[in-house]
Amino acid sequence: MGDQNIDTLDALKSLQDAFYQAIFDAKTATITPTVSTIIATEKLSPAERINIYRGSILGGITTALTNIYPVCVKLVGEEYFTRMVSAYLKKYPSSSADLGRYGEHLPAYIAKFKPAEALPYFSDVAQLELLWHYAFNAAEDTFSDHGLRPLSELQDLTEQQHSMMEFCLNSSVNLCVSSYPVNRIWRVNQDDYQEAFPGEGRVDLNEGGVKLLVWRTADFTMRVDELSDDEYQFIAAFLRGKRFEDILEIPFRQPVSDILQRCIQMGLIVGFNLNP
Amino acid sequence: MSDNQFKSQLIQGVGLGLRSSHYQEIFDTKPDVPWFELLSDNYMSEGGLPIHRAEKIRQDYPITLHGVGMSLASADPLNLDYFSRLKTLTQRLQPAYVSDHLAWVSTSGQYTHDLLPFPYTQFTVQHVADRISQVQDILGREILVENPSSYLEFQATDMTEWEFIQGICEKSGCLLLLDINNIYVSAVNHGFDPYEYLQAIPIDRVKEMHLAGYEKMDGYLFDTHGYRVHPPVWDLYQAALMRFGQVPTLIEWDTDVPDFETLRSEARKAEAKMKEVA
Repeated sequence: MGDQNIDTLDALKSLQDAFYQAIFDAKTATITPTVSTIIATEKLSPAERINIYRGSILGGITTALTNIYPVCVKLVGEEYFTRMVSAYLKKYPSSSADLGRYGEHLPAYIAKFKPAEALPYFSDVAQLELLWHYAFNAAEDTFSDHGLRPLSELQDLTEQQHSMMEFCLNSSVNLCVSSYPVNRIWRVNQDDYQEAFPGEGRVDLNEGGVKLLVWRTADFTMRVDELSDDEYQFIAAFLRGKRFEDILEIPFRQPVSDILQRCIQMGLIVGFNLNP
Repeated sequence: MSDNQFKSQLIQGVGLGLRSSHYQEIFDTKPDVPWFELLSDNYMSEGGLPIHRAEKIRQDYPITLHGVGMSLASADPLNLDYFSRLKTLTQRLQPAYVSDHLAWVSTSGQYTHDLLPFPYTQFTVQHVADRISQVQDILGREILVENPSSYLEFQATDMTEWEFIQGICEKSGCLLLLDINNIYVSAVNHGFDPYEYLQAIPIDRVKEMHLAGYEKMDGYLFDTHGYRVHPPVWDLYQAALMRFGQVPTLIEWDTDVPDFETLRSEARKAEAKMKEVA
């Protein structure tokens, strides 16, 4: 490639593809095609120059994932996390221009990551942090004439409109299930917890599993709430797109009106719309 | 949010790069900063606190949007989803300028999220100029293109960076964001005269300048944006002001972001230099 002129789109594409390969695979055979395209100087060899970009790219992506998964970093340490990200990047290249969308497969990757087997809850903590990230960046729920309407307008509906009415969940809502008390693990690893309760960071894994709701309130407060089995089923049915009349048929242990009331009080049900 | 809820879109003087650690102080004290630059890629999500805060800042200050995701020099087709979201953001925040870099970020649909170099040739001048024109059509506005810092040069390059910039300006009509620190970093890394570079840049195209601090590494300078502006960059800035006039200038600081007052003290230095050329 060294003598190749960059005078066509194909030539530019070949150069960029080779450069990308050289960044993510430092083996001599992989970087050789790119090395031959770069001017050598007394100060730095082409391989050293490629290495500058490699460090910058891996550093930038690792920083971004550290921001999404801060508790995971605390659990395994920065060095371990960085090595894991480096391996993850080879398996899952970033396919979005938005770096904030990168890392969605990390929880599943961790679940199959052999060196992480000693931390069986690691993948679930990653899942919780990913859902937190999604909730943090979710769209706001805004009322409109043809879409979401406030609950206060329920009383104005005609009988026919009542039959078309569907409750709407806060759009930041996500559910997280774990066989471990991941909300406790996550909580004790927050900076404010360590400040408030120094030295108290132990979590008994035998506390058992949890069903969690990860979401953001209308005033941008982030929340992780533990749910009962009924509440979990109720919200999961909503997220699966079930109609409210079908949700009423689910055999809950407690009255469905109680579950609905709690969801409304919490701000989880933000309004309704009319589906023909 | 409608136009008339925002103050002027025009920017002048020395602005600051908006960083999340400074939001609260800005909201609490409403500092006398002429404008802020927001990193567009940090506000691409559909909602949430970041975009809410950005709108709050925009109510009190003019802003510019500066990004890293356009991938202007890539051989890939333009990422229309990215530009659609960027367009929505520009409509929401109404920036004075939208800018990105002379670099590629992605190839074959795979993103590095970093600004990568490419050979400067007649073909790439035309290719990048065509893409800038497409981007300007999509966004419905002119964009500012920023000169990069770079750490390598390609055998295939057959023109200087400033000749390349002259070429894209001629062919696309784009405007320029001249990063004075980047000129200096690349000049040291590749052994060219940064003052010769400045003299070759078309005066009427430069609408914004950037200042930042590099890091001295073993055998090269690295553009970390993590330090105060270094003396040789201040000297080059002074020469740039003499050539281009009082172009709005930004203090950029991205790693190890210091307290807000440190940023403001850097801005005051730039303001003083700007006044000297008045």
